[in-house]
Amino acid sequence: MTTNTTPARGAEEPILRVENLTVEYRSEGFEPVAAVKNVSFSLRRGEFIGLVGESGSGKSTLGFALTRLAKPPATIVDGKILFHGSDIRTLDDEALRKQRRGGFAMVLQSGMNALNPVRTIRKHFHDIFRAHGHVEAGSFNARASELVRKVELPETVLDRYPGELSGGMRQRVSIALALSLEPELLVFDEPTTALDVLVQHAVMDTIRQLQASEGFTAILISHDLGIVLESTERVLVMHDGVVVEDGPSHQILDDPQAEYTRMLLSHYADPRAEEIHIPGFSTRGRSADAARAERATTSPRSDARAARRADASIVVEGVSKVYAPPRRGEAPVVAVDNVSFTLAPGESLALVGQSGSGKSTIAKLVTGAEKPSSGLVRFGDSNLSALRRRELRELRKNVQMVFQDPYAALNPLHTVEYTLLRPILNFTERRGEAARERMLELLETVGLTPAETFAQKLPHQLSGGQRQRVVIARALASDPQVLVADEPVSMLDVSLRAGVLGLLEDLREQWGVSMLYITHDLLSARLVTDRMMVLNSGRVVESGPTADVLRNPSDEYTIRLLDAVPNPARARETR
Amino acid sequence: MKYALRKLGMLLLTLWAAVTLNFFLPRLMPGSPADAAIAKLSQNGPVSAATRAAIEAQLGVPGGNLFEQYVHYLQQVVTLDFGVSFTFYPEKVSDLVLTALPYTVVLVGIVTILAFVIGTLIGVLAAWKRGTWLDTLPTLGGSFLSAFPYFWIALLLLFFAGYVGHLFPTSGASSPTAVPEFSFSFIADLIYHATLPALTILITSLGGWILGMRNAMINTLGDDYVTFAEANGLRGRTVAIKYAARNAILPNLTGFGLALGGVVGGSILVEQVYGYPGIGYLLYNAVVNQDYPLMQALFLMITVSVLIANFLVDILYGVLDPRTRR
Repeated sequence: MTTNTTPARGAEEPILRVENLTVEYRSEGFEPVAAVKNVSFSLRRGEFIGLVGESGSGKSTLGFALTRLAKPPATIVDGKILFHGSDIRTLDDEALRKQRRGGFAMVLQSGMNALNPVRTIRKHFHDIFRAHGHVEAGSFNARASELVRKVELPETVLDRYPGELSGGMRQRVSIALALSLEPELLVFDEPTTALDVLVQHAVMDTIRQLQASEGFTAILISHDLGIVLESTERVLVMHDGVVVEDGPSHQILDDPQAEYTRMLLSHYADPRAEEIHIPGFSTRGRSADAARAERATTSPRSDARAARRADASIVVEGVSKVYAPPRRGEAPVVAVDNVSFTLAPGESLALVGQSGSGKSTIAKLVTGAEKPSSGLVRFGDSNLSALRRRELRELRKNVQMVFQDPYAALNPLHTVEYTLLRPILNFTERRGEAARERMLELLETVGLTPAETFAQKLPHQLSGGQRQRVVIARALASDPQVLVADEPVSMLDVSLRAGVLGLLEDLREQWGVSMLYITHDLLSARLVTDRMMVLNSGRVVESGPTADVLRNPSDEYTIRLLDAVPNPARARETR
Repeated sequence: MKYALRKLGMLLLTLWAAVTLNFFLPRLMPGSPADAAIAKLSQNGPVSAATRAAIEAQLGVPGGNLFEQYVHYLQQVVTLDFGVSFTFYPEKVSDLVLTALPYTVVLVGIVTILAFVIGTLIGVLAAWKRGTWLDTLPTLGGSFLSAFPYFWIALLLLFFAGYVGHLFPTSGASSPTAVPEFSFSFIADLIYHATLPALTILITSLGGWILGMRNAMINTLGDDYVTFAEANGLRGRTVAIKYAARNAILPNLTGFGLALGGVVGGSILVEQVYGYPGIGYLLYNAVVNQDYPLMQALFLMITVSVLIANFLVDILYGVLDPRTRR
């Protein structure tokens, strides 16, 4: 690297200075919307800073503006971006293109899609070398090999197509590609968001090491304050397009100044802690038994409901699910391997594991969407594999799903009212005015009030958290006995998560709905479940009361999952 | 390689299915070719039993059970023996088809490929220069032209460039006096005659390719790998062609395969309007005159060529898109 200067901090001219930057989204026929408002900050050479905010805070818009990748409708309307003292807004196209080498580079959020699916990885490197001519023609391959080794990948990936690599590998490749430009400033836009927990952890480690060894200046954009505080020495917190706080990481952690930063921080906790305090939740430190005992004393709202639910356990006995091999000649895929558990009425059970651990397959087995290869799944006294069409309908009425992606789970063309009326008309006897009343009641149950107003809205008029509430209301419409919630909050902003989780918890306590909670997020599992099962490659590696499993994990895989949880507080120890 | 072999297997299987269907479908229809010929004759007066026997002998009445007929039919297909045409009696069907085929394949084939290539290039340019006149003009012009029925364009060209302007001949594939030989003058004469039909097909099919490619590429231009390529400072032309266009063309190949398969079917109306002696012209006459042997041979050939064109595009797809090679 050419720019590896010893950091003589402070005295030097800043590498990047942003002055009063305002970026607006301008579309014809609409009022311009300011996404970044009057932002100023500067960056010293070799610094690694974090840029944190929730969705819509303008952090990505700012990142794209800094690297001059902002495209219409995003328009820089005011301010300066001084890179080495000259405003990058004045660069013409060719000058801009040339300075991409040795200047500022960017690693995109969805690194998995950042590679051309019809070109091999090697060609991606060659394209860059050819465009800038900074590598001699004879040493293209040697340089490419060197770069992929830097991101801890084997050289063999060079001859692969992007589709043949895992998400984590692809993100590493795009980091290597950005590195091949020998940038002075590297902007990482949510580099690990789309990745699995354990992979996320490993990729962040690589980024940290590279930043230290290559000495580039870096900006890490993320919604996750935990990740940012763990990695960077200085943090900018953005909210509504404004930088609300800018300070050293330890200060943000120990003595946050802005109200907003304090709110973000309050949603973090160590799932291993004895007691956990999250706004909107009562203290959950007691062991599961104590909690259950306490709940037993609070009588269910309706006795009839309780009686009907008495035999509504889900029993899974020695279930395996094997899928046909993906390609001829390969071994079949064992998604679920001899799993047994019982979900009693009113109970909540967490299924925890990274993607590919089989947790979503179990959800499909329990909802009757898939049939087990061997073993038995029972709901009450009926065997799910033997159900006929009418009985399956009855099962769907009783076992409902809450999906991961609230943006994709609602038909964008239908109002909330229509979405909720469908299951009411399909699964219950209510018609006409009674159905409508039930629909409004559901909206109130999930906290979308005034219900009349929300009923008329279309999905795009709702926030992510509100949409997920509609999805939950829809699941409740058939008056189910079991909710299967597949990562219900992973797509939501931190500040919205607590609300949705609290709602799920209330539903269980007040209505006696039992819940199978599928997640990779150990903290949320700790908040809403009594018992937990840890899955690895389709097998249960550990199970027990949630607090006990998390506080005293015995399996190595559980420990690795726990270590991968970003935790601002841990940043203090590592620093 | 394995992918190509698998596709070849699929091709042979569908070919067999098509050939078999082509055998059974006509047998499900009531009546026979002989009945049709006799019905035609009886318009002029009563048909005697002897005449009927003679016609049946001439056209051939299927003997043996269905299976034997099927085997016999397969033999005939393999040896390209499709019998004798009614319309152009006593010409053999295979001879008729083989005479007409080159005209259509060359005219419609070349024009289809040309339209695809030109349309795709214009589409790429339009998408890359989105919002400028280089986008608006071909996009508007493309939708405008492809909205015309092509026989109407054919009539317009025929009238203005043929009758009024005397720029091009109004019918036929070559001058009546021209001697078919491999010489410059004869080939020039062929091209001269093919110009108007070619132009007609080109004008009407170009718009579809332009719009298809432009819209597909507008989508890929928004993809992350294009943004990332720009962020990495690749040259504009590399980004446009190797990243955006290269991916955008994939879905259009399927349409191209279908269009290629349709080449042999010819452009019936265009050939009819220009009196161009290709497959479309032949097919029209076969249908109008209830010429069953000719129809059967033509339908079979059209089916087979659609299948082969799709096979070729599948193979091409395999070469161009690593994801399909699994």
